[in-house]
Amino acid sequence: MDISPNEAEEALAAIQSVSQKTRRSIANSGAYIFLIITGIIWLVGFLATQFLAGEIVAFIWIGMSILGSALSIPLGNRMSRRVRSPSTATYAKRIGTLWLLLVFYCIATIAIARPTDGKQVTMFIILFIMIGQLAMGLLLSFSSVWWALPITALALVGYFLVPNIFYLWMAILVGGGMILLGLYIHLRW
Amino acid sequence: MAELNETIHQPVRLRIMAALVTLEPGNEVDFTYLRDLLEVTDGNLGAHLRKLEEAGYIAVTKIFVERKPHTYVSATTEGRRSFQEHVATLEAILKRK
Repeated sequence: MDISPNEAEEALAAIQSVSQKTRRSIANSGAYIFLIITGIIWLVGFLATQFLAGEIVAFIWIGMSILGSALSIPLGNRMSRRVRSPSTATYAKRIGTLWLLLVFYCIATIAIARPTDGKQVTMFIILFIMIGQLAMGLLLSFSSVWWALPITALALVGYFLVPNIFYLWMAILVGGGMILLGLYIHLRW
Repeated sequence: MAELNETIHQPVRLRIMAALVTLEPGNEVDFTYLRDLLEVTDGNLGAHLRKLEEAGYIAVTKIFVERKPHTYVSATTEGRRSFQEHVATLEAILKRK
């Protein structure tokens, strides 16, 4: 079988294009959906915390969290069916254990530190969530969790530099940022 | 110089192999995901997968997930080796340009 150098070049370009598309698709692997869902929950929840008072805020957070979980679980199941890995079961168990331990450590830290206001509690929870995301990225090579770093940085900036509008900052910059990042990954990446 | 692999060189099969060898060895991809990734029809993809399976370049696994049949596809060790040889041959042809 003989082909010209031009045909060889076209074939190599096709291979490169598909390889790149596959890599991006796997790296993305639905991360954008979870970013958008989490972004919407944080946007609505933190806006409520900034502008509303009383039990309604707690109900909004609980409602949004239940809605987010209800959407994320079937989506996560669907995404995980795309690519099967022999080590998926091991990873799934490790990920589950990691998050359970982080919840325990977060509760223990809050119980010991006894933060005096909601902003401190919020920051503890956010820092533990972001530690979990980074640990998954570093240990399990999930390439779509790098966004934990800028979100942590934004949350810290909001906490230390603009405490008066901390919840508004979290809603617009962090919640809104997650939504925009999710849309960017989906449409442009 | 090694010969071009006629089974792999067909455009759709070339793209199928390119996608499958990009996965980690041992990982397998869902049929519908591969179909959407390559933008081909079910029938077209199925026909080319059969050819590659007959050649021993891919492995096809059919399982039931929540009572629904799912087909998973992966590149075999032989498939990976043949694909790499094919790419090396293409690069050698290109260097003659």
